[in-house]
Amino acid sequence: MREAWITGIGLLTALGPDRETTWRRLLAGETGIRQLTLFDTAGYRTHLAAQIDDVALRLAGLPRSPGRHVTRASHFALVAAAEALADADLPASGEGRGWALVVGGGTAGLYEAEGFVERRLRGGARTRGLGELVEVPQDSPADRVAHCLALTGPRITITTACSSSTIAVGTAAELVRDGEVEVALAGGSDALCRLTYAGFNSLHAVDPEPAKPFDRRRKGLSLGEGAALLVIEEADHARRRGVRPYARVLGYGVTNDAFHMTQPEPSGAAWERTVRAAIADAGVALSEVGYINGHGTATEQNDSAECAAYLRVFGARLATVPVSSVKGALGHCLCAAGGIEAAITALAIARATLPPTVGFAEADPACDVDAVPGIGRPGTPDVALSSSFAFGGNSSVLVLGRCA
Amino acid sequence: MSAARVYVCSTGCVSSAGTGVAALAQALADPAWRPRLGIERPDAPSLPVATCREFSTRDVLPPLVARRLDRPARLLAVAAREALHPLGDPLPWPRDRVGVCAGTWNAGTSALLEVLRAVFLASPEEAPPAQFPSTVANAPASQLGILEKLGGPNLTFAEKQVGGLRALAEACRHLSHGRADLVLAGAVDEAEWLNAEVYDRLRTLRTSSRPGMVLAEGAAVLALACEPGPAPLAVLAGWGSASAPTAPCRYPTDPAPLVLACRQALQRAGLAPAEVGLVLSVANGIPGLADLERRALETLLGTHRPPVVATTDRLGEGAVGGALRALIAALAVAGTVRVAWEPPPHLAAAGFPAAAARTRSALVPGLAGGGSSVALVLTAP
Repeated sequence: MREAWITGIGLLTALGPDRETTWRRLLAGETGIRQLTLFDTAGYRTHLAAQIDDVALRLAGLPRSPGRHVTRASHFALVAAAEALADADLPASGEGRGWALVVGGGTAGLYEAEGFVERRLRGGARTRGLGELVEVPQDSPADRVAHCLALTGPRITITTACSSSTIAVGTAAELVRDGEVEVALAGGSDALCRLTYAGFNSLHAVDPEPAKPFDRRRKGLSLGEGAALLVIEEADHARRRGVRPYARVLGYGVTNDAFHMTQPEPSGAAWERTVRAAIADAGVALSEVGYINGHGTATEQNDSAECAAYLRVFGARLATVPVSSVKGALGHCLCAAGGIEAAITALAIARATLPPTVGFAEADPACDVDAVPGIGRPGTPDVALSSSFAFGGNSSVLVLGRCA
Repeated sequence: MSAARVYVCSTGCVSSAGTGVAALAQALADPAWRPRLGIERPDAPSLPVATCREFSTRDVLPPLVARRLDRPARLLAVAAREALHPLGDPLPWPRDRVGVCAGTWNAGTSALLEVLRAVFLASPEEAPPAQFPSTVANAPASQLGILEKLGGPNLTFAEKQVGGLRALAEACRHLSHGRADLVLAGAVDEAEWLNAEVYDRLRTLRTSSRPGMVLAEGAAVLALACEPGPAPLAVLAGWGSASAPTAPCRYPTDPAPLVLACRQALQRAGLAPAEVGLVLSVANGIPGLADLERRALETLLGTHRPPVVATTDRLGEGAVGGALRALIAALAVAGTVRVAWEPPPHLAAAGFPAAAARTRSALVPGLAGGGSSVALVLTAP
């Protein structure tokens, strides 16, 4: 049986332009959520987001230049992909190697295209701006990464809203475990834009203050942006290269609650089914699970349904399984969230440190979990879950484990 | 792992030829059939999209149910109900074990434009909350899951022209791994002006003065299962995928990744290139793609010249264009469709004949702008 190892991580968030900065500041209990400056927030319910400021990010050393019209989402993906390959000690070019690329597709070039759409709606067909439009298709970040890194293997873009890149990581690991490829880059990238900002505002799903996952006072999510790409590598391939893995992808589960477009099934029964499917796919015992990186959006309904699901699965033992959410620190990065959280979970396993739930202070009886308040703390999970839930009722859970 | 045998148990579709597989088959049998083209856009001439003008949910969905769905979801739901109907009611599998895999190029874009229209021309507070969930590309698959209470994996693949073929290939993978007993797999695309305008500005849409693509509106669904059921149409016997590093929206010039994807699909199906009985051409009217396809097929097939069917230049390009080709391939190996359309000129000139008799195997190659290739092989059960 082939094993899928995580041997490289590239991470770009509001807490930092790379993996180590993000990890260090996350463990210190810092948050990247603050005043949004990317566009004017007058007229919105909230004015906060976990925004990436330093868009002059390095792109030097790529095999091919992305050219002039690279969008924020593709830019983020390229930075994360290059960091992941370097971290795995793999060459920056995939030319002729057949590496797969599996990406959670988000808003892609919509932020840039919104400028065109506004001018077009106001000013008619003579509006100029082809360069703003070429990355409208949701697989554009994948196309851009594949083009710049010369990737020639399968290229998949999964779009299941907020669970997209969780499923991308699971899919990539399965391609490796099935022997279809030896190396895959997997994760997601998503950029803030007016559509999602206005949309979540219209649903009253955002907190005017920074998000407080699992907290009694929570009033909604904070939007964020970022990217994570993980190198998923066949274990023998990694051993031959002498590279040290962060963790192993043991399996994943994906189901649909068939309940409502924006609300989770409240009893947690549907989410429970996903967790059990993931555990079965991974071939581990429930008793081996020592940490859960939760979806934890900080909306009233999500957090209670999620915790109810864990209680149904683990029963009284849930008190001994810490459950933390990074969304109080990194915001909800939508289609990139699952990839970012998979990366954080892998780091937690490799470094025997559990990330905190930034923003959590007051326990909620409806979310009766050890939410790792404050700062990161030591923890040595052999098996950990990374959980996501999305618009449309899609839930997915990754099972990661310590490499033997 | 060894892949399980995946059967195409039934099909359903909504296309510019009409609602249902019978309407599509009727169009395919008519050499002169052409769609009516055109979608409106603000302050400019219409663009060439083969729309489903006569589409209605009447007789398929109760009005109150249909009203809750956006148009892409209605298209997919009607196609799915046609595919589900022959499988029996109740289904022979628990609904928790039924999944959805849908490809799309542009689902959600009309809703997106409506939300942005409110934000830009009124105020952010006017953004319509009911429209926002429909802006995500997975909304049609999700609404189908909610409508039919399907609890299996519910996945959407946004990969432009190969989204539908990818959805079919990934459905096979999920079936092989036991995540579902039945997957409704295919694609849905909507008629909207934003993506069409992108390709118009890239000068790849057909006009009276230049060749190019026609885009598609519609939905196609193939019901896939590891159990054949009472009357399987075909076996989805192989799939493959490779890519050429190409800038977004541009087509590659190197046919090698398309050849590789086809070889992988044939190998998985256990077929030699000389055993290909029919090719569902990827040709969509773009001259560069036609040349690339000819070179790819000559490399793959050598001197073998199986019959070729081209449907995308009439039914339209998009994720649904690919899924419709796979659906037609399934019907062709089942012997339930007769295609009277001429092969595309670039392949006719290279010696590929028109389809005539029933075939035992069909190759469905796919290529997206940006360089991603997916290929499927369907065989007789």
